[in-house]
Amino acid sequence: MKIFQALAKIDRKIIFAILAVVIIVPLIKPLGIISRASNRAEAVFNAVDAIPPGKSLMISIDFDPGSQAELYPMLNAILRHAFAKDVKVILLGLWLTGMGLGEEALSITSQEYNKVYGEDYVFLGWRSGVLPVILGMGEDIKRTFPTDYYGQSLNDLPMMNDIRNYRDIPFFITLSAGDPGMNTWIAYAQSRYGLKMGAGTTAVSAADAYPFLQTGQLTGLLGGMKGASEYEFLVREKGYSQALTPASQAMDSQSLAHLLILILIVLGNIGFFFIRKTTAFKGEK
Amino acid sequence: MQRQIPLMLCLVFGVFMIIQFFIPHPISTTAYEIVLRWVRIIAIFALVLGVGSLTMHHSNKIKRKVKGWQFSIITLIAAVITALVGLLGMNVVDGRLIFFAGIGRTSLLQTFFQNFYIPVNSTMFAMLAFYMASAAYRAFRARTKEATLLLIAAFFVMLGMVPIGSAISPRLPEFAEWILSVPNLAAKRGIMFGIALGAIATSLKIILGIERGWLGGGK
Repeated sequence: MKIFQALAKIDRKIIFAILAVVIIVPLIKPLGIISRASNRAEAVFNAVDAIPPGKSLMISIDFDPGSQAELYPMLNAILRHAFAKDVKVILLGLWLTGMGLGEEALSITSQEYNKVYGEDYVFLGWRSGVLPVILGMGEDIKRTFPTDYYGQSLNDLPMMNDIRNYRDIPFFITLSAGDPGMNTWIAYAQSRYGLKMGAGTTAVSAADAYPFLQTGQLTGLLGGMKGASEYEFLVREKGYSQALTPASQAMDSQSLAHLLILILIVLGNIGFFFIRKTTAFKGEK
Repeated sequence: MQRQIPLMLCLVFGVFMIIQFFIPHPISTTAYEIVLRWVRIIAIFALVLGVGSLTMHHSNKIKRKVKGWQFSIITLIAAVITALVGLLGMNVVDGRLIFFAGIGRTSLLQTFFQNFYIPVNSTMFAMLAFYMASAAYRAFRARTKEATLLLIAAFFVMLGMVPIGSAISPRLPEFAEWILSVPNLAAKRGIMFGIALGAIATSLKIILGIERGWLGGGK
């Protein structure tokens, strides 16, 4: 009886300690469980791959450092893929607190591929107001963003000469951790202007994307850190980059953490059932 | 008059935006672009309001010495310094402080972001994993039929969504995908339709002046 009571009431400090060990150990000594790409991740990859060299991929950073572990590796992997294919990149964001991450990602990946600012990539940054920004870009990007993140006029950036609005963007990806993010882009840019788009989301909000995947409004989906690791796997497998793959390395930790939580849930329920059964039996007596 | 003018403006612009959507004429498109520019300008005032509200809130806490008022001092100092660093475009080049040099990769703003904001924000979010593990253990109990169903679904999705799931059995990710693509999708779609219909009804009520709560001021 005592065992079952203990199973139903494990001290939270013990749970915290075991979870810490389960997360840290695979980071030091990886288990090497391979993360294969899902159809949804492959759809995003293929859409980026199909952009002709010289055309532009637009990415929106709709997250902040809180979701960095899941979405930042996606951003780096997508940037590496685009730069390796000589696809131009337009980066912007709906979350002001994510702009520093965009700056960091561009500074790392652009140097790896010797890309020139203004010719191969542009960082638009953030503007106040969400809906007028998304809708305004559907009419004219330069009117919505007269200057880039650094205060430079878009008219002075050669890459922006041939780009007026969403019609000149073959594919768009939102890396979304909530609102504003994926839903906002679908409602206002995809529905109204027919922008072809894919999404990278945190694991908890991946389920929200399924209705849009079925309707075809979303081309593909990268869900959580697993989605990031799948994109990293594809980029590496196709030989576009040999850079570090942080999401793939962290997947062992996530796998074991999920397994631990499931074991805890099972143990908690075993304890719960036996206590309930014993209590009911005593009550009958 | 004080209420009638805003109601009239709401009606005119509401009806205009609906009609404009269906008429892609150059005149309507130009008018639409002007409206979007106005909205962007108005949105900037929300920032002013936000900064004002933050300053007032924390100043009051410091004045009244409310519990934890010391943190309000840190908040205000951090807000002022960050704003100044960004507005003055402070950069450190070869150990020298340079002003009005932008907010690029060598800027002090980016240094602050990378060394203060990222670690603090990431740590806050990372701690959630521990609380979630503990909460899942305590809350996921098969007390009722519905709770059992939820428990079983969560079990397969959690296992199927990580590589160890496919290592155990290739069927697990397929089953997790089925749960997300069929039962989850059916429920989500129903909820979304409900929300959309509710939003349309509320919008019409606001445009037609039936719903006036947004005007404020009680009666």
